[in-house]
Amino acid sequence: MKTNRPAWPSMLICEITRTPFRTALCLLLFLMMALSKAQAQGPLDKPVTITINNEPIKQALEKITAACGVRFTYNETVAKSTVKISVNAQNQPLGEVLRKSLAPHPFIFTVLDNEVLIKYDAGKVKKQAAAGTDGKYTVSGTVKSKQTGETIIGASIRVTDANFGTSSNEYGFYSLTLPAGDHQLSVSAMGQKAAVVPVSLAGNLRLNIELEDNAQQLQEVTVKAAPAGARDLASPQMGVEHLSIQETKNIPVLLGERDVIKTIQLLPGIKSAGEGSGGFFVRGGATDQNLILLDEAPVYNASHLLGFFSTFNSDAIKNINIYKGDMPAQYGGRLSSVLDIKMNDGNNQKFGVSGGIGLIAARINAEGPIQKGKSSFLISARRTYADAFLALSKDSIAKKSQLYFYDLNAKANYVLGDKDRLFVSGYFGKDVLKAADIAGINWGNTTATLRWNHIFNSQLFSNTSLIYSNYDYKLNIKQDVNEYNIYSQIRDFNFKEDMQWYAGGKNTISFGVNSIYHTIKPGEISATGNSGVISQSLQNRYALENAAYVTNTWKATDRFTLTYGVRLSAFTILGSGDYYDIDADGNIVGSKHYTSGQEVKTYINPEPRIAAAFQLNDVSSIKASYARNAQNLHLISNSNSGSPTDKWVASTNIIKPEIADQFSVGYYKDFNEHNYEFTVESYYKKLQNQIDYRNGANVFTNQPIETQLLFGKGRSYGAEFLLKKKTGRLSGWISYTLSKSERMIDGINNNKWYNARQDRTHDIAIVAMYKASEKWTFSANFVYYTGDAVTFPSGKYQVDGVTYYYYTNRNADRMPAYHRLDLGATRQLKKTAKFQSDLTFSLYNAYGNPNAYRIFFRDNKTDASRTEAVRTTLFTFVPSVTYNFKF
Amino acid sequence: MKNTIKYITILLFAASLSSCEKAIDLKLKDTTPQYVVEGVLTNQAGGCKVLLSKTKNFTDNNDFNGIGGATVTIADDNNNVYPLTATITGIYQNSTLTGNPGHTYQLNVSVDGKTFTSSCLMHPGVPLDSIYLVKDELQNNKDGTPRKYVTVRYDDPIATKNYYRFVQYVNGRKEETIMLEDDEFTNGQEVNNNLRFDNSNDNPARDIRPGNQVTIEMMSIDPTVYKYFYSLSNSANGDGNNAAPANPLTNIKGGALGYFSAHTVERKVLTAP
Repeated sequence: MKTNRPAWPSMLICEITRTPFRTALCLLLFLMMALSKAQAQGPLDKPVTITINNEPIKQALEKITAACGVRFTYNETVAKSTVKISVNAQNQPLGEVLRKSLAPHPFIFTVLDNEVLIKYDAGKVKKQAAAGTDGKYTVSGTVKSKQTGETIIGASIRVTDANFGTSSNEYGFYSLTLPAGDHQLSVSAMGQKAAVVPVSLAGNLRLNIELEDNAQQLQEVTVKAAPAGARDLASPQMGVEHLSIQETKNIPVLLGERDVIKTIQLLPGIKSAGEGSGGFFVRGGATDQNLILLDEAPVYNASHLLGFFSTFNSDAIKNINIYKGDMPAQYGGRLSSVLDIKMNDGNNQKFGVSGGIGLIAARINAEGPIQKGKSSFLISARRTYADAFLALSKDSIAKKSQLYFYDLNAKANYVLGDKDRLFVSGYFGKDVLKAADIAGINWGNTTATLRWNHIFNSQLFSNTSLIYSNYDYKLNIKQDVNEYNIYSQIRDFNFKEDMQWYAGGKNTISFGVNSIYHTIKPGEISATGNSGVISQSLQNRYALENAAYVTNTWKATDRFTLTYGVRLSAFTILGSGDYYDIDADGNIVGSKHYTSGQEVKTYINPEPRIAAAFQLNDVSSIKASYARNAQNLHLISNSNSGSPTDKWVASTNIIKPEIADQFSVGYYKDFNEHNYEFTVESYYKKLQNQIDYRNGANVFTNQPIETQLLFGKGRSYGAEFLLKKKTGRLSGWISYTLSKSERMIDGINNNKWYNARQDRTHDIAIVAMYKASEKWTFSANFVYYTGDAVTFPSGKYQVDGVTYYYYTNRNADRMPAYHRLDLGATRQLKKTAKFQSDLTFSLYNAYGNPNAYRIFFRDNKTDASRTEAVRTTLFTFVPSVTYNFKF
Repeated sequence: MKNTIKYITILLFAASLSSCEKAIDLKLKDTTPQYVVEGVLTNQAGGCKVLLSKTKNFTDNNDFNGIGGATVTIADDNNNVYPLTATITGIYQNSTLTGNPGHTYQLNVSVDGKTFTSSCLMHPGVPLDSIYLVKDELQNNKDGTPRKYVTVRYDDPIATKNYYRFVQYVNGRKEETIMLEDDEFTNGQEVNNNLRFDNSNDNPARDIRPGNQVTIEMMSIDPTVYKYFYSLSNSANGDGNNAAPANPLTNIKGGALGYFSAHTVERKVLTAP
């Protein structure tokens, strides 16, 4: 294979002599060619440049003669042979070319004067088989997009003549071990044209595969194998949903801002935490039980503007995977799900700018090569300008108010040679909510990731990451002569090493370690003025979260595959700080001081993960899995919809790690030539050490948080159905979830089971996209779900002349069922090679159903002798238009 | 201070979520009526009063559902038992009984075979130094006139944990909002505490306007009573902000809702300019 080795010295020369890079490269290449010419002696040293695809040997040899002038001699056995060979040579010596291309075939060659003699040798292949590593070699490389050079995650690479294949990892790397000889690899990926690549294996082979973008989605794709982006029927991985960013493009959303977190909520088992909240519930879990990763960095608050937008700018995103259960062992730390978001690497072929202007936000994205074809950068930014409208308000305070967010994604990658690649990526986002200098809050996430991919050999891939995450908020209130500032923060330093070992054809072993140092600043308050408030801060909390894992995917037979592994997590709480003993009523009965770095307690949790897949036939399979997860960071919230000021709390001597055991089974079927996919998954999840606030908990206190908490257990179970149409003018899906989620906490609801707030019996989503013409694409989605479980009054009484409400069972009532239809349309305006633009229209809540954001109770405004229930609704009929461009 | 921060934060988020409100017909469960005991003993004459009532269904009217025929007594820590007699149905009083700071009082209510008891320490009163009005810079009254709040000034004693409740009257009308403070963040300091309230039903009689007479009562309350009012205002007022509404933490034993508070009262009056 071609190597990139000359690039390094030549770059060095460029640096030293300030010669333009390309000139130097040419010079070097020329020198090398001259050198190899000078050394040329026999016919086997003659350089050849030729590509031959699977042609009979006689024809192939004639072509080689035509290409380099060397003649061949052979007998009739060779001439009449039906053996087909493939050659792919770039200025390589003929000897090497022949050795490679004839290796898997029963032919040998020797030099005869100026000619080359080809002889039939029946024993050769057998001998090789006996001698070599059972006659198998590894083809490995990276799958990329031809147009942009972006590596492609989850591309399917299958051997057409065998029921065998693999998929590219999160860096586009793949490795397949096959018997020596000729094979055809069928390569496909979502949004890309499928390709068939011939390989001829006579040794380990590096083969980078480039796929063409499939811009013309109208053209019927005729792939007989499983199509792009199909669920892998053979893989034991279950509970996973994959979205490529193209898929989210046409789904209508609120105010036209494409939003991956809103889009995943249309999938079964993943439920919105409601309007005005950025959170989501997975299989009955709480919002803090989702691990949200942006280029491997945990994001602690994934929503902007109180949940109306997610922190993820779709322009910068390449790929989204969400694991609802059966999390691969490389992930840990949250109970319910892993949302793994990968940013684009940036186009390494050409410089481009894209962007959009909508009603309330504008965004811009620039990307391009650093070294063409090898490395690239990307910068993507967004800002809302909804507050510009506030200036039009008559209210003097509204006029001076601010309400906006901005965020910035940046990434660069650099190829250090054939085997090494570096990535640097970062995210910075901030929300600002301010009322005329009197009160304000801002909050935001910062993440940074430095990654190093290294290919040890064709079977061993490594990634090393250094990660930083930070979330903080600042609250500022001015009142009379007083000013208060409140600040809180959670910050991580994170080291991660992941290795993938493609150990022969049957086993793929992943293993690695992870170490995170957490610092939590629960809150500090500073006050000036005459309020008497003494500035103070709560003690910082420190913890070291270590984990090691190993997992193997074993292809036992053609039909049966087993993944088994374990993650061992160890959470060490470190000083300095005071830790307490607390009685059943939440009173402190003792405390102990720990010095800086002193170990307070270590929680060790082995987390076994096992999954099996049995493929019934080419189009259907059944799977089962079990996974345990442990969680040591907990978000304590008592508000309805979550707030940026909710508290992240680490496990302590009193707060035990939350643990979840999830069992699931599933049935998967493709039909109508893989155009449709049908999936059923059912799960049972057992939760331990769940946390809730005590009744009457004081949220704003300098007491240890444990004094305000209660602990218990949970269970949730359900069945999820998904029917998806993947190709054609009309595509989309129908998803339905039937589920139950309950909690039992000591001290709440008389210690009896009660519905978790997110318990929703039915949840339906229908998504349809229709490509009407080259110019117009229409889309619609409809959602319906059972209202949240809530506690409504069962009576009322007077205290000090004011009406208060009497409550009986926790969460025994229901909000009204939620339903909504959204419509969208995209009009392609201009499309040339250089410039593209489109207009996207959307109508959120198209029939204006007044969905309840909250329901509250009060004395009737006009008749104070009566009480009334009042529903507040956030959005009915929200139209929007966005202009998008790309050049 | 805590109230200030809470109110302003809620206001800030609420402002960004402009929403539309509509009264709806909601089918709510009815339950067996429960007893509610509201017992108060102060250091001032006429301050001894116990209200006994029962909960009503949500759809009933808001009239006080007083229960007569109960035997109500308050005992001091010298084993003196003082009976309270019914004046109006459900309201029991002893016009001569006043409490003394430093003493613990025992409430006993017997009705229909049930007995509810509670005890409460009357803490020494913290003097209310002065009260004054401060204009709100964030909000105006509904009619656009400047909104004003009372600020109370007092010196918090350093040696004790102190819990306060404030009640505001505007031209004799009692403000509904529960106004609480403790000294968790202000122990031993001169405190200027702003008594904010949210006029959620836009009732002009609640606003403090020029010429209005404003009375503030400052009560030094027991921590259990503070806990009761804190949880009452956070989780039983029906505002829909709390994820888990629940009955407040009572200091009454025997299965009744409500509280028993023995407290001192300090009073100041001003006329709004």
